[in-house]
Amino acid sequence: MLAYAIKRIFVLIPTLLAASLLVFVFIHLIPGDPAAVLLGDTATPEEVAQLTREMGLDKPLYTQFVLWLGNFLQGDLGTSIFFQEPVLSVIADGAETSILLAVMTMFWIVIFGVPIGVVSATRHGTWIDQLSSGGAMFAASIPTFWLGLYLILIFSVTLGWLPSSGFPSLSDEGGLTNLRYLLLPSLTLAAPNAALIIRLVRASMLDVQREDHVRTARAKGLHPLRVAYAHVFRNALIAVAAAFGFTFAALVSEAVVTETVFSLPGVGRLVVQSILRRDYPVIQGVILVIVILYMITNLLVDLAYAWLDPRVSLK
Amino acid sequence: MALLEVRNLCIAVGSGGALLPVVEDVSFTVEAGRTLGIVGESGCGKSLTSLAIMGLLEGSQVRITGGEIRFAGRELTKLPAAERRAIMGDQMAMIFQEPMTSLNPVYRIGDQIVEVLRQHRSMSRRDALVRAAELLALVRIPGPAERLKSYPHQLSGGMRQRVMIAMAIACDPSLLIADEPTTALDVTVQAQILDLLADLQARTGMAVVLISHDLGVIAETCQTIAVMYRGRIVESASAAGLFAAPRHPYTSGLMASIPDADADCETLPAIAGRVPRIDERIGGCAFHPRCPRAASRCAIEPPATATYPEDHVVLCHFPEEAAP
Amino acid sequence: MNTLALFNPFSGRRLAFLGLVWLGFILICALAAPLLAPFDPLAIAPVDRLSEPGGSYWFGTDNFGRDTLSRCIYGARMALIIGLGTVAVSLTAGSLIGMLSAYFTRLGHVLMRVIDVLMAFPALLLALVLMTLLERSVANTIIVIGIVYTTTTARILFGMTLKLKNEVFVEAAVCSGAGHCSVLFRHILPNLISPLLVQASFIFAFAQLQAAALDFLGLGLPPEIPSWGNMLSESRIYVTRAPWLLIFPGILIIFSVFSMNLVGDALRDSIDPRFKDDIAGV
Repeated sequence: MLAYAIKRIFVLIPTLLAASLLVFVFIHLIPGDPAAVLLGDTATPEEVAQLTREMGLDKPLYTQFVLWLGNFLQGDLGTSIFFQEPVLSVIADGAETSILLAVMTMFWIVIFGVPIGVVSATRHGTWIDQLSSGGAMFAASIPTFWLGLYLILIFSVTLGWLPSSGFPSLSDEGGLTNLRYLLLPSLTLAAPNAALIIRLVRASMLDVQREDHVRTARAKGLHPLRVAYAHVFRNALIAVAAAFGFTFAALVSEAVVTETVFSLPGVGRLVVQSILRRDYPVIQGVILVIVILYMITNLLVDLAYAWLDPRVSLK
Repeated sequence: MALLEVRNLCIAVGSGGALLPVVEDVSFTVEAGRTLGIVGESGCGKSLTSLAIMGLLEGSQVRITGGEIRFAGRELTKLPAAERRAIMGDQMAMIFQEPMTSLNPVYRIGDQIVEVLRQHRSMSRRDALVRAAELLALVRIPGPAERLKSYPHQLSGGMRQRVMIAMAIACDPSLLIADEPTTALDVTVQAQILDLLADLQARTGMAVVLISHDLGVIAETCQTIAVMYRGRIVESASAAGLFAAPRHPYTSGLMASIPDADADCETLPAIAGRVPRIDERIGGCAFHPRCPRAASRCAIEPPATATYPEDHVVLCHFPEEAAP
Repeated sequence: MNTLALFNPFSGRRLAFLGLVWLGFILICALAAPLLAPFDPLAIAPVDRLSEPGGSYWFGTDNFGRDTLSRCIYGARMALIIGLGTVAVSLTAGSLIGMLSAYFTRLGHVLMRVIDVLMAFPALLLALVLMTLLERSVANTIIVIGIVYTTTTARILFGMTLKLKNEVFVEAAVCSGAGHCSVLFRHILPNLISPLLVQASFIFAFAQLQAAALDFLGLGLPPEIPSWGNMLSESRIYVTRAPWLLIFPGILIIFSVFSMNLVGDALRDSIDPRFKDDIAGV
């Protein structure tokens, strides 16, 4: 297992290099001179030229890339033009919010997605199934930000139950109760993804239900619940596990939107704001970090897949 | 009293108003320790009959619409689900056509055998594993203790079918239903599996219902034979009686199409026509469009059963009367 | 025959049929927008700003006093353009890349690696990065979302073409001396039309959500264009004062995406079962 993981990591390196090159090149194709943007309208050309030199923006692109990559490998992602702080610490500032948001969202996805999917599959064809699988498709059709705005309108503005924006750190006053700031955002983020998991659990359980070995299990005289759990659901998990990599990608995409809607100080909103501010180093850094996380997720998904399905050999 | 007694069993496909009968008025008995063979082309209803006996139709689009299934004195069709499950896998077990897919790919075979043992016997896991190894030895799997740890995909088709058999006989059933147990296997393996089944039967005294499309397989192993066509039993008799004097033209056709080593291959006779689709309506005798002896009466009037000595029963207007 | 069979899938599915009806309604709104819209969608009426629904403004007005109903109707036009444009870009590029990669193994090694790299970026993130390069415009929004779904389409087509490549009828065509072009486009492609149609309906649905998200983040269509996403984006500050600004465009997006998903789902159940699992819809 470990050897396989290491081997997989080595396979990922070229993809990662290509992705970082892509990020680097993209960012440098952006119209607008970052030095000029940073200094504002009143800057003289001399000041702009000086800043350009200081930031190394006058060097050839490939030199900039090699320098950047070298620094990156040493943990130095450059300095944010906007914050005048190391990119890594800018990202770290947003990490707490984003990680907590992701964990809470995953919690909702598993809590809602899996049981509803199971019930939908075991009650296949009944109104319960039609309601939950139809409802799931409907939920997946709602734009994330619209749902977020609507939840704010209902629970924050009208009912006044929950805060509508921001997130003080857990180490601030309030401690764990500060998590209530993330309740609406995590539910918003969970809705479309839980919907996907419902549809997926349902579809893969229906597939497994048709397989011959389920009939064998029933012929053993097992209780229907035991058949559903130990034979149908257990085997359907293989397909569901494979989808969690995809869910991560969807989660990241929608987190960008959700954090913007709820004004959360997370990494997602940092991406959008950095793009609007043309803060190149931060954009590069964040995106690369996300790509690396995505690849790690996919690796973990593959390992989980092999663990769940003995037919997959880790060679 | 017979171990298994099926009376006027009717099975239909579909839901709501549109019921399509697929098994009609099927009756037979199986005595303890004996073997009944059910033979017929695919789609004749023989597999559905076996699934109905086993109690595996529930939840599908297929259901029993009439008749009785009495097993060891109990009427199975009226039994509550929990009592029905207590019989399944314990007193009555089944093996299936597809050994490649009939085992759950994600569990070790030891665990799959243990599951059925612990379902019906209060056994510790360790005792169950010991028993599972004995069962694997019984079905002649080499190195049974190590094999317990194998996953199904690590075994050949023949081996998997042996595992299925081990699982089926785990609780010493009094009836084993074998639905095309050798169809998916190589010819050499087929013989071994049939041999194994006969051996186990001799050892444990269980009754077997063997379902096959292959009259050759049936001939080798069964004491009584029922021939099915389009959801009905068209002829049933002792194996000796049936082979000595087939009375239904369909049975004669089936027998004629068994390749004979001595015969000239080019003149292998076959039953004329094609197997009708299940939803085609055929009036009178269902076999008449393909029957060499069909008369005008056959297309209009359903035949009644004719009974001959030694429980030889035929469903035909013009059965072959005299033994050749 | 396979394509013809696509017209039956709605027989047993009332909801999918309703979806089709809704999409027809949206299509009519889009085509006949100038006839249906009671006002000019861009006309500003400061006196009537943030009017509640009712009177001459059925759906109310926004912060500039523009008629929400008229903007919704013209928004259907944008939705259609974005959807069709994205489908055109991603299906054309994606099926070319996918088919060529599967057919010419060496080229496939290179192209599919490129696709892998692009797929290492979560969809919206890729769109955001691309959008930073480009001006906000309709064409660029289409291109950017199109590129995102080109990757998935290419991956799917790659798999399906590989399956077909080893089919007897393709080998027969090769053996009888058919050229690469002929094999690819006359023998393989026709078999992929129905799965492509299903894929197209899902892309159409996803594209609406992605475009709306880009609009919302201020990186999609230019703000003056009346798209549903832009309408929602502008209305967020007025949510408490004018909730109708959120309701109408929102419902239009949700119903349209839902309908498209229903249609795609119904279509998927009617295609060649070999390809069913290749297409990931909702």
